[in-house]
Amino acid sequence: MLQSLAASRYQTEPGRWDECHGPDGSPRPGWNELLAQIERLGAGELNRRWEQSKRIIRENGVTYNLFRDGAAADRPWQLDPVPLVLEPAEWARIEAGVAQRALAIDAFLADAYGDQRLIRERIIPPGIVHGHPQFLRPMHGVLVPGGTRLHLYACELVRCPDGQWRVAADLCQAPPGAGYALENRIVLSRALPEPFRGMRVQRLAGFFMRLRQQLHTLAPRNRDNPRVVLLTPGPYSETYFEHAYLAQYLGISLVQGDDLAVRDERVYLKTLGGLIPVDVILRRLADDYCDPLELRNDSTLGVLGLAGAVRAGNVGIANSLGSGLADSPALMPYLPAITRCLLGQEALLEGLPAWWGGDQAEHILANLPELILRPAWNNRGRPVLPATLPVIEQRNLADDIRVRPHAYMAFARVARSTVPCWDDGKVVARRMSLRVFAVRDGNGFAVMPGGLARIDAQGDGGQLWFESGGGSKDTWILADGPVLDVSLLRASDAPLELKRGGIDLPSRVADNLYWLGRYAERVEAIARLVRSALSCLAEDAGDADQAQIAAYLAMLDRATGLRAAVDTPSAMLVGLISDGAGGPLRIAREHLRRTAFGVRDRLSADTWRALTALDAELAAEGGEDANQSLARLNRVVIACAALAGMARENTTRGPGWRFLDLGRRIERASFIVDSLHAAFADGHGTPPELEALLRTADSAITYRSRYLTTIQAAPVVDLLLTDPTNPRAVAFQANQIAEHVANLPREAVGALPTPAERLATHLQASVRLADPCELCKPDAGHALVELLDDLAGTLTALSDAVTTAWLTHVAPSRAFARDAWQPGDDFTGRI
Amino acid sequence: MRYRIRHLTTYNYSDTVTLSQNLAHLALRATGSQHIFSHRLEIDPIPGVIHRRGDYFGNPTDAFTVSLPHDRLVVLSSSEVEVSPPMQPEASATLAWDQPPVAGGGDTGEAWEFRFDSPQIPGARVLRDYAAPDFPPGRPVLEAALAFNARINREFAYDPSATSVTTPVLESLELRRGVCQDFAQVMIGSLRTLGLCARYVSGYLETQPPPGSSRLIGADATHAWVQLWCGPQTGWIDLDPTNACIPGERHILVAIGRDFGDVSPLKGMVLGGGTAEVTVGVDVEPVVGQFSGQSQQQGDPAGSSSAQQQQQR
Repeated sequence: MLQSLAASRYQTEPGRWDECHGPDGSPRPGWNELLAQIERLGAGELNRRWEQSKRIIRENGVTYNLFRDGAAADRPWQLDPVPLVLEPAEWARIEAGVAQRALAIDAFLADAYGDQRLIRERIIPPGIVHGHPQFLRPMHGVLVPGGTRLHLYACELVRCPDGQWRVAADLCQAPPGAGYALENRIVLSRALPEPFRGMRVQRLAGFFMRLRQQLHTLAPRNRDNPRVVLLTPGPYSETYFEHAYLAQYLGISLVQGDDLAVRDERVYLKTLGGLIPVDVILRRLADDYCDPLELRNDSTLGVLGLAGAVRAGNVGIANSLGSGLADSPALMPYLPAITRCLLGQEALLEGLPAWWGGDQAEHILANLPELILRPAWNNRGRPVLPATLPVIEQRNLADDIRVRPHAYMAFARVARSTVPCWDDGKVVARRMSLRVFAVRDGNGFAVMPGGLARIDAQGDGGQLWFESGGGSKDTWILADGPVLDVSLLRASDAPLELKRGGIDLPSRVADNLYWLGRYAERVEAIARLVRSALSCLAEDAGDADQAQIAAYLAMLDRATGLRAAVDTPSAMLVGLISDGAGGPLRIAREHLRRTAFGVRDRLSADTWRALTALDAELAAEGGEDANQSLARLNRVVIACAALAGMARENTTRGPGWRFLDLGRRIERASFIVDSLHAAFADGHGTPPELEALLRTADSAITYRSRYLTTIQAAPVVDLLLTDPTNPRAVAFQANQIAEHVANLPREAVGALPTPAERLATHLQASVRLADPCELCKPDAGHALVELLDDLAGTLTALSDAVTTAWLTHVAPSRAFARDAWQPGDDFTGRI
Repeated sequence: MRYRIRHLTTYNYSDTVTLSQNLAHLALRATGSQHIFSHRLEIDPIPGVIHRRGDYFGNPTDAFTVSLPHDRLVVLSSSEVEVSPPMQPEASATLAWDQPPVAGGGDTGEAWEFRFDSPQIPGARVLRDYAAPDFPPGRPVLEAALAFNARINREFAYDPSATSVTTPVLESLELRRGVCQDFAQVMIGSLRTLGLCARYVSGYLETQPPPGSSRLIGADATHAWVQLWCGPQTGWIDLDPTNACIPGERHILVAIGRDFGDVSPLKGMVLGGGTAEVTVGVDVEPVVGQFSGQSQQQGDPAGSSSAQQQQQR
């Protein structure tokens, strides 16, 4: 890399500013030192470290576009190893400009949601407010804490050929990216510790401390230790990783709309222990989705009555409901005038040359081929280059601009700057933009000394969007003086009250943990079963093995509903784990992923790594032979064990852990009951069937140490069903289940046991009273199968009882708004 | 004309509702030609929280929460109102539709609010094209609008089975049929794409019994029409495309908004409830000579008995 940089094989583009090299090819100030530091490391070392960093990113599960559609794989976050370097003097200009712009936008929001002086005095066209679909009229005139509507702001900057930074977009309602910038920093400072320390790079943690302080100031009560939540649209959101990451970093709860409820104009978190008050919401949900009652009726993501709670002053929201109004390219041409009018200052930062159709349609229509068109009201739509459209589409576009001028925004085309990027062993120039973040701080804004530099994918001419496969960079802002280390974990001065709780666990989280436990266990059970069957195949022997394979297939059928033809088991078994979406292992994997993402902020980094490792083993694509599959299944079982160990050793014994383990125990008990049922359904258990049972339940060694090589039904049934010392036996699960159920939180301590407790006791007693010798006697008839049926039924009922008692009140509310009312005038009433 | 109005909404749920949060646009708005004597909202079960406030457009709204378990929610809105005949401007003397201040750019004041796309009435070229024949350059705005009003009435079939409350405006235009809401929204969308300011009015219409029979209680219904801004002097003029007229004393205004979504009489969310069945009854009863004689015209004798009305529910 350094060779190519030094030897000037790095190609800049004529007519564009390059961040690293001046017009004469020499490095710009700041970059000198970075290049020298990298040179000291050597290309080989850099490569080695970078491979390691990429693995960290994968293992940490940093992703964008999760679940774009169910089948699509997560796209790992793309980070480039070369940071963007900015000098103190240059940064000072950006910092002042961004802080001022944030202040001007906040003042604009206050005006639009207040007396609308800007419109009356004709500083802005009325359509900027009244034509904006995100102008939330129900929030007009509502007072907000400190009069501040904008708390977190992001500014998308591009550098033009003249070296000036100009604003390409303002992100004002729930600006994404700060969490990614932080993650980039953590990864890169580990990969390049020497340059990072040597170059006096400013730290990011102070910014997040300010953000947390700012959130606390929004609390209408409990200012000292308010309950703050981060409201996310959920795991299907493109930037869900960041929501979970930020929540964990800021030490606040990650919640979805269904986790919150409004009662008497107060916001509460629904937990296992009941409703607990929420003081502040950091939202990542678009504002019109926040309240289906007053804002958007078709929203299923919001909190019913939230707008009312805000109006009553009972909850603080960052950014305030309605701030999406400023998330609008159409505002950009008017910001200099707004800054002058409301702040009495000249704007320090320029925007890109831009025209709003609602005001300057003639200019746009006259210059269409030279412009880039974007939707006027949000930053989400893709830009359109009219010059590249066929003539007929150009004409349609022009016509639509005449009919709906206010929906269009036109920008001048500018040549964005380039920056060196590491691409598969070469250094290449890519076009970039820089997203800078600011947080409200007293009367002004504090700007994060860093940012998210975004680079275009190769060959992608004009797009800036992550969807097009571009990447990102860490941004190093150099300091003039020594750099202070700050940590977010440093406590405030007031001593904290010690806590051991857990009942404030959101019900939805408990639900997800319960199913996470179940699916993790299911994956392990299926993997063991398939592994045992495959190893039988590999040994490739006589009738006994055939019989054992048949036994495994019967168990699979019973437990997962997968019907297999006995004559082609090899291909089928390999296929089960290596390809196709319909196999039980694949289905269990999908469920595992879904539930895991739903509680991501509750899982430790190590647990997450264990899950990611397991997921990677499960995801490997087809084309394997039986031996390869066998090796992979071994790794799957080990990964499952790692996950289980993490849950056992690294999780506090609160209700969250109980639900996780309860899920695991119920699933394991069900699986063993199913396996026994399959083996004994039509007989008394042949030796191959008994062998299969022992192998599946990982109990073969124990059996041999007790009974040597004699294999009989009764001892096997004892070991798998009634032996409370075997952690794979139903009896063991029954004891654990009973203990969990007895210790789950309950609303009132009544005299009578709960339905779940009754069922757990029944399960425990049935197993304890069972006599394996009696059940396996030749004249016992169907006694064993009947017992197994009863146990299976009890387990299903128990799962339902747990869900009903603790988890179902997470059910969302529903609207009767739209279809309930049909206005219509009586035909006979015509005048 | 003086009216007593009763508007009864009943929700029957198949399952118990544990929590119900609602927003009502049932209280009548006072205007220059409409004086409100009284309004009462009765709700069963009695709500735990109820707030009256003005919404962004100046309409009175009631927000209420019922937190008692219930399987039936009854909302009765009763009003007494006096409506005077509106001013009738000379259509040919109004300003040109395509010049400021009527269209674009000029001093439209608060009318500008109603110039843009709204959630249920998005702009589209077909809407503009549909209106265009009645809007040649320079034509006085009200003259053009009345012609358009009459043409919608002519070309659209009144057909309650053709559309529902959620039918998109472009679909009603395509079908050329619908009810008052569709007529009004097609008209509003067309006027807005021409650059004019137009808004949605929800209200009631007094119905006339067929000759020889008496008024049927509860047979009235809610109605919807349009207001068009015709310049700073003339202001907002009501237009009823369903009946091809300028609304007069028989039109009672409830609320004004950008589209139906802003003024939906009763919208709400419930926890539980299963399936819901809703029935709505509206009764517009002219009041003759009891309190003031000034606006008394030829009253409808069959509808004057308030005793008869009371016993119906």
